[in-house]
Amino acid sequence: MSDAYEPQVLAFCCKYCAYAAGDLAGSMRLSYPANVKVVQVPCSGRVDILHMLKAIEDGADALYVAG
Amino acid sequence: MIIADRKPLEEILEMIADVDNIMLVGCKGCVTVCNVGGLKEVQILSSSLKIARKKADRPLQIEEVLLERQCDPEYIEQIRDTYDRYDAVLSMACGVGPQFLSEAYPGQRFFPTVNTKFMGGAVTHGIWEERCAGCGTCVIHHYDGLCPIARCSKSLLHGPCGGSADGKCEVSQEIVCIWDKIVLKKMEQGRLEDLRTFKPAKDWRSARDGGPRTSIREELVQ
Ligand code: SF4
Ligand code: SF4
Repeated sequence: MSDAYEPQVLAFCCKYCAYAAGDLAGSMRLSYPANVKVVQVPCSGRVDILHMLKAIEDGADALYVAG
Repeated sequence: MIIADRKPLEEILEMIADVDNIMLVGCKGCVTVCNVGGLKEVQILSSSLKIARKKADRPLQIEEVLLERQCDPEYIEQIRDTYDRYDAVLSMACGVGPQFLSEAYPGQRFFPTVNTKFMGGAVTHGIWEERCAGCGTCVIHHYDGLCPIARCSKSLLHGPCGGSADGKCEVSQEIVCIWDKIVLKKMEQGRLEDLRTFKPAKDWRSARDGGPRTSIREELVQ
């Protein structure tokens, strides 16, 4: 077992800005840590408290909303 | 409507510390309107309880249910086939809900998840205020529609008391002195004389002081 704690991070990203920025980073061949999982949302306003609770309930250690 | 507040999560967790499988029942009535025990709040509480119990290494199974109301036997009946599949049932309705449930299903354990507070309304989004104390004999016509029973800390029929200052009640700066408002309204309407009329002592037997109350509508009783 590895000693290094690696939190599972969920990122809710707005289709029009944060997710688009992620796409751009991809085409620029920039990488981000593999423990960050990106979920595209139509608008960051779509993210509800229940989405966040369910994510934690199902094993996410941290999450952020970018938009 | 009836206004309630959600109990702290820790208190609910403590109540159900010895059970592993519960039914969590919301209500589409008042507690949905005051955002404390409707569908959304059932889902939030359910998820919060599961996270807390998972963290404590004792996972909790939850069946989420939403009833039309928990103050009518016909809706309470809707869980007759399922209520006994769980170690306990938690109600998100006002205090009436868990009581109707436990009267209908004596073999099960029922827990409240909200603190039922008062009859009132939303003065703005997210803020509810008390308006009626259910005294059983409404007298607000004497006070231009402002209730001194529910809204004066001392339920004075003749006021204000000597503690009224700057429109606030002596009990707390957070409490508006309703007697100040009653007097101002009478002055504005040129009817201050009304307040000189002596009101005999109120008969509190129609309120809670006469013991638990019943309302019977003969035309509806079969
Ligand atoms: S007088 Fe009694 S019934 Fe009328 S609003 Fe006040 S508490 Fe309620
Ligand atoms: S200050 Fe006003 S509201 Fe408070 S007890 Fe006196 S009369 Fe009632």
